[in-house]
Amino acid sequence: MENRWIAYLIPPFIITLLLVAGSQYVFIQNSFYQDLGLGRTGTDLTLTNYIKFFSDSFYLKTFWITIKVSAIAALLTLFLGFPIAYVVARMKSKLAMFLLAGIVVSTFVTIVIKVFGLIIIFSADGLINKTLLNLGLIERAYSIIGTQEGVVIGLMHFTIGFSVLLLYSVVVTVPPSLEYAAQIHGASRFRVYQRVIIPLCAPGFVVGGLMIFNMCMGAFTSAALLGGGRILTLPVLVQRTVMMEVKYSTAASIAFILLVSVILINLFSLIAIRRLRSARLVVA
Amino acid sequence: MQTWTEKIIMFIWCGFSYVFLLSPMIVVMGASLHGGEFSAAIKFPPDEPSFQWYSKIPAEQFEALGLSLIVAAVATFIAALIAIPAALGLVRSNFKLKFAVSSVFRAPLQIPAIVSGIAFLQLYYLIFDTSGLMLAGTIPGMLLGHVFIATPFLFGTIVAVLQRFDHRLEEASYSLGAGRWRTLYRVTLPTIMPGIYSGGLYAFMVSFADVPMSIFLTAPGFVTYPVELFYAMENDFDPSILASSSLVIVFCLAMLLIVQKVVGLETLLRSGGGSAR
Amino acid sequence: MKKHKNPLASLGLAFGLALGVSFSATAGEFDGVTLKVATWGGSWKANMEKIIVPKFEALGGKIEFVTGSPAANFAKLVAGRGRAPFDVMEVLDAQVGDFAQVDYLQPINLDLIPNKVNLQPFQYNTTYVGSWNTQETICYNTEKFAELGLPAPKTYADLAAPELQDKVSLPDINSGAGLANFGGVIYAAGGDEQNIQPGLDLMKKINATKFWTRGGETKTQFESGDIYAAVVHAGWCTRAARAGSPVMTVHPEIKPGVKGLAKEGWLGIMKSSKNAKAAHWFINEYLTTDFQYEYAINSGVFPLNKDAIEKMKGDEINAKLMELRPDAISSMLRLDYSKVDKTAWIDGWNKTLTK
Repeated sequence: MENRWIAYLIPPFIITLLLVAGSQYVFIQNSFYQDLGLGRTGTDLTLTNYIKFFSDSFYLKTFWITIKVSAIAALLTLFLGFPIAYVVARMKSKLAMFLLAGIVVSTFVTIVIKVFGLIIIFSADGLINKTLLNLGLIERAYSIIGTQEGVVIGLMHFTIGFSVLLLYSVVVTVPPSLEYAAQIHGASRFRVYQRVIIPLCAPGFVVGGLMIFNMCMGAFTSAALLGGGRILTLPVLVQRTVMMEVKYSTAASIAFILLVSVILINLFSLIAIRRLRSARLVVA
Repeated sequence: MQTWTEKIIMFIWCGFSYVFLLSPMIVVMGASLHGGEFSAAIKFPPDEPSFQWYSKIPAEQFEALGLSLIVAAVATFIAALIAIPAALGLVRSNFKLKFAVSSVFRAPLQIPAIVSGIAFLQLYYLIFDTSGLMLAGTIPGMLLGHVFIATPFLFGTIVAVLQRFDHRLEEASYSLGAGRWRTLYRVTLPTIMPGIYSGGLYAFMVSFADVPMSIFLTAPGFVTYPVELFYAMENDFDPSILASSSLVIVFCLAMLLIVQKVVGLETLLRSGGGSAR
Repeated sequence: MKKHKNPLASLGLAFGLALGVSFSATAGEFDGVTLKVATWGGSWKANMEKIIVPKFEALGGKIEFVTGSPAANFAKLVAGRGRAPFDVMEVLDAQVGDFAQVDYLQPINLDLIPNKVNLQPFQYNTTYVGSWNTQETICYNTEKFAELGLPAPKTYADLAAPELQDKVSLPDINSGAGLANFGGVIYAAGGDEQNIQPGLDLMKKINATKFWTRGGETKTQFESGDIYAAVVHAGWCTRAARAGSPVMTVHPEIKPGVKGLAKEGWLGIMKSSKNAKAAHWFINEYLTTDFQYEYAINSGVFPLNKDAIEKMKGDEINAKLMELRPDAISSMLRLDYSKVDKTAWIDGWNKTLTK
């Protein structure tokens, strides 16, 4: 009975495998050869590209910045997404659907359009600067482009839609009856959050958070537009290396490092979560 | 059940998130009503509201919009053809390397789109070298790239729905005498439809919004909408871009209403919101 | 049909036939030919669609545009190892050095480009024919400078003034004008194509916080007050002026005797192209006075055609903000891209200027 299901699996699997492996192989195998510039590669297998990456402070700095902005953006996005997810999960009213509609529209609209809006909002005579200047909180107009904060905000807009939907799918697995039960036994709402909702949702939140983190690590458009050439993340660097310098081997090595690091970070996080959970079970 | 303090906190918290979320789009729509001269300072709120820039949207943007819609629709359809049997096969079978196989299907999510763009272009030239089939700079070539990035979304949502699938429905169908195909067609597929719809919606949007991959795969004379916007920023950052963007926002709202009418927004939620698993 | 023995009629008939034959000969010159041109999108190609495309269609052909920046198109060429989905390509100075290292272009037969007489001799050769020119200037807001008590800037170093902190925009090395302007800064600091460190030091001193990838960004930022000065080509400064910003250009003093920085755009024909004749025709049309002038007014670049340059004087803003004297234009600094080690430049830039 099970075997016929495998038959369903095989054709799509082969197609996907060919596409994934084929495209990545063609590109990444470049990284194991010497870069001769202009898309040409040497003929001997070598790890020089990788050695160059890890021994150059510029690349390491870029690597670190990428991880940093992605992590911050992921955390903030989870933070902003949670209330909406919770409200939609618990209140099945028209309001909830309305809130959801806003989220979905936001996901539909491409990030380029949202960046236009951000640039206008944060321009020197835009709303934010005008208000802050009038309130006397800043002396000179603040610019969003070319700052790490700007990139983080761009990444947040890129991922917040998915964040809400992911968080929703987690919150919704906690039956309201559990909350009621806790309250009947005298728990305050705060306690309910602390002892019921958060612990039950935590694993799902972590997995969702990792997904958001992955999206941010690979995000190109928002980082390119808001980084303004001053803040470079790995995807932007890959694009520059390919387009501007036409150094395929170098770009491929950067891309491969990005890919591997994302996978490793995910793996370690999941293992750490499992360790924590089993530790808590022992203690509790 | 919730206390008043909690309700207020949630309200403010939600409100803040919402303002954050929606302000860029509102600003774009507002600024598109720019009434001034050819690109005098683009401001929000606009000085003298006018729809003038809507008439100045270059024809190419509409063509690009049409192309993007078609490509996204076709790519989503093909992605569904791949993802549905794949998800069924994966969830219901039992073999050792399930995780590996699942990773292959989810892999495109991990690969930065820009890398995929270059990789596909190189792959196409390799294919041309070995077989004479030219895919670079063609519509099928672009479609294939979009299918690549869209399939994981469909795969993820359908898998999520299948994992919650109540097998008794199928068993009941068999015991009532329906054959395998009938059951599949009349019971299984309709039940997982929410997953297909929501995954399809994400897939459509991902394909519609893609910039980095499409830059490399555009065919001469065929440019997708976000890429056209990206280029327009390069040459003429005037309010017609904002007007064009506002139309897209309105279009997305319309799509939303259609979804609500056809399947209801809840179905989007119930099918797991993505490929977390 | 009655047979006319009328000699005038038969003469008329013969004449008509001859005319008809010659008509269809020119009308069919490019029958069935589809020429693919790689150029920027948006309003840039709109100029070509207005002026050049109808002429080509009258000759029976069709023009398709492959839109994208020259860098993106070059990347496509490299991915395809020289096989291009286009026949003619707009090439920026930044790619000239790259093209020199590969063999993607076919030689140009200058005899087929009669309009080249309207150009300066250095603006065409057997590999490239110039398409347009930009004058890379310092564009500044005269009112703001007066407010801050600053004199008009004369060269790049003047942008380091502390009052201008956070209000200066420079071209990102990745932008179309990046290499050229960085080169100008290097020369102004006393270096040259192979000695860039003085330029990097000067860039650090200027400490600009904004880098533009698209010239249009500077125009928008002048309007919103985000910047008071930018290094950008004169065409964008005139567009900002036309939109109401009180801006003025300065051709930077690079070295004693060298004022101003210029770069040409080039047109090249791909080696893999099978439409060489049409490609040559296209390049020739690019150099007509009408097109060059239209192009300059709409897209803010500077024409190469001498007559078009003359026409520019008729517009007040052009006359004020652009350099219109041919000798002054020819004596502006132009980089020798064969000496530019792009990787070294980009690495130096990245390490010094990214945060």
